[in-house]
Amino acid sequence: MWLWFAKLGSPRWFYEVSGRWLPWLSGAMLLFMSVGAVWALLFLPPDYQQSFTTRILVVHVAVAGTSLAFFPLMAVAGTITLVWKMKLADMVAKNAAPLGAWFSLVTLATGSLWGSVMWGTWWEWTDARLVSMLFQFFLLLSVIALRSAIEDSEKAAKACALLSIVGCINTVIIKYSVEWWNVLHQPSSPINMSNDSANGPEFWLVTGVMIVAVYLFLTVSLILTTRNEILERERRSRWVKDIIS
Amino acid sequence: MEESRDLEILKVSQLFCERDERILFKGLAFSVREGQILQIKGSNGSGKTTLLRILCGLNSGYQGLISWRGKPIGECLDEFYSSLTYIGHRVGVSKVLTPIENLRWVSGLHHQVTDQAIYSSLQKMGLKGFEESQCFSLSAGQQQRVSLSKLPLSRSKLWILDEPFTTLDADGIELLEILLCEHVGRGGLALVTTHHQLAIPGLTILDLG
Amino acid sequence: MKADESSTYQAFVGTLKRDLLIAFKRKNEIANPFIFFLIVAALFPIGITPDPVRLAEIAAGVLWISALLASLLAMDNLYSADFEDGSLEQLLLSHHPLYFLVLAKNIGHWLVSGLPVVLISPLIAYMLNFPRESYMVLFITLLMGTPILSLLGSIGVALTVGLGGRGLVLAVITLPMSVPVLITGTLAIQETGNSAPLVGYLAILGAMLVGSLSLAPLASAVALRISVN
Repeated sequence: MWLWFAKLGSPRWFYEVSGRWLPWLSGAMLLFMSVGAVWALLFLPPDYQQSFTTRILVVHVAVAGTSLAFFPLMAVAGTITLVWKMKLADMVAKNAAPLGAWFSLVTLATGSLWGSVMWGTWWEWTDARLVSMLFQFFLLLSVIALRSAIEDSEKAAKACALLSIVGCINTVIIKYSVEWWNVLHQPSSPINMSNDSANGPEFWLVTGVMIVAVYLFLTVSLILTTRNEILERERRSRWVKDIIS
Repeated sequence: MEESRDLEILKVSQLFCERDERILFKGLAFSVREGQILQIKGSNGSGKTTLLRILCGLNSGYQGLISWRGKPIGECLDEFYSSLTYIGHRVGVSKVLTPIENLRWVSGLHHQVTDQAIYSSLQKMGLKGFEESQCFSLSAGQQQRVSLSKLPLSRSKLWILDEPFTTLDADGIELLEILLCEHVGRGGLALVTTHHQLAIPGLTILDLG
Repeated sequence: MKADESSTYQAFVGTLKRDLLIAFKRKNEIANPFIFFLIVAALFPIGITPDPVRLAEIAAGVLWISALLASLLAMDNLYSADFEDGSLEQLLLSHHPLYFLVLAKNIGHWLVSGLPVVLISPLIAYMLNFPRESYMVLFITLLMGTPILSLLGSIGVALTVGLGGRGLVLAVITLPMSVPVLITGTLAIQETGNSAPLVGYLAILGAMLVGSLSLAPLASAVALRISVN
């Protein structure tokens, strides 16, 4: 177990194994992505209430679900960085933060796009999910800001690791407090948020395909950026020089 | 042979440290016995300060083993810290406080200390008459002396001093040398970085190049 | 363990006393956040409306946000002077648990920057035509909420101590973290009339205070070790 763990921490081992996995993962991602996208955008029957806007919702739900994975991922990577000083964990976490911010932004954009049709407004403070997603976005930005503010990369790694752990706990507290804040302000809102039940089984099937596709996309992007990071940080070692030349 | 190993209280082996992709030291090993002063020499950027900060546990970016009384310092940090007095580049003297107030706090972190002891220590370091003035009105050398005043108060076995002589005048240098001699005489250990020629028995020199 | 070693309690009290002493010698550090709070709170009526009815509606939010910004402004000098003069290193090299020493610094800081804001808040509340019956709740929630803001802010300051131009990074890190406190504090004020939910809010705020008292100094301590590295 420990041997395996130590091996996983070796950037070189990761580079080699991920290189073997990458074509398979990318292939699976393309397959799921194209099936999901074509199905959702061309064939998914319009909902009787929401009409064609459900097609936006497929993408929105898939991206939103995936974007919730970033803080736990970064917190786990951060714990590994702080406790076991494993450099690989930080290489993953470093690239996860901007990717997570991007996912959150896409969630917000698709959410408000859908909202503009369904609610007639681009932004709705009474939707707890939008508001807590906004704050998750801000928290991810703060991790990125901290990383770019610290010049010493080792110090930056540890500081961001700690902030990710604190941020992860915070997103959970924010999520609940915003939901609760929202429930109490609900009487003033004319909008009924319980639209999930309106979607049929086919919607959830497409969305499932899309969620798998987005998770694969996340994995592939993280592997690619981490491989870049490995090459950059290990550029003086022999095995990297052999690959490049 | 066995006996001299027992006296090796601080022991460093296989120390490796790299900063900004430059190797500062590799395979560095040394040990300090009771009653020994280790003077660390080296050109600018050779890692003197980094080495001292690593030994204090302020810098964790290293590989290798540092042990205190036979145990790795990570496992006996409390014991190690209660026997350590460190004076760094930044001397740890708050400019808005008076020398008395500074020492009350910094020595109080380690052990109980009476105002009387602080007064006599300040007097010993040639700061009589400045006890109650705010430290920003003191010169750099005087502030260094305030910081050094915690040495006579300390009960620590190990002193780690980073460039303690730089701002001192001839008089101050002599005072510090006397303090170091007394410390060694009590069986204490000291690590000092300086280019100054120390006139102290039991001196060993470690050159980092 | 030697006989005359100081106890952790003595180190805690010593650190608290020292920080209070420094604060009283630098009076502007106490005064600035306080004045800032007054000015920000006074800008809202000018920027929004002088209408007393509408002011009464927004007063709770105005007071809380002004307190939040004042606390953020005050945070910056929690560790920076100690970092620059080397006292922070001495703190880290103490054999006492860093948790208590950081807690002492946090408490000292709140006493000189948070407490004055809480004490003056009824006056600002009066100027904002704040509903009479809510004064007590406002005071209690601020009294419980501002220490949480300080404790959370301390993590951000500890992470950024020693960085150039840290002010903005600090704000970006700290402000999103304060959302739950802001929500609970303002909701409690709005629920003044109903005693049952009010107790619930105060209980939640109390839980947040206990949680941050026990966890935030630990995070700050880790952050300080990282920053001083």
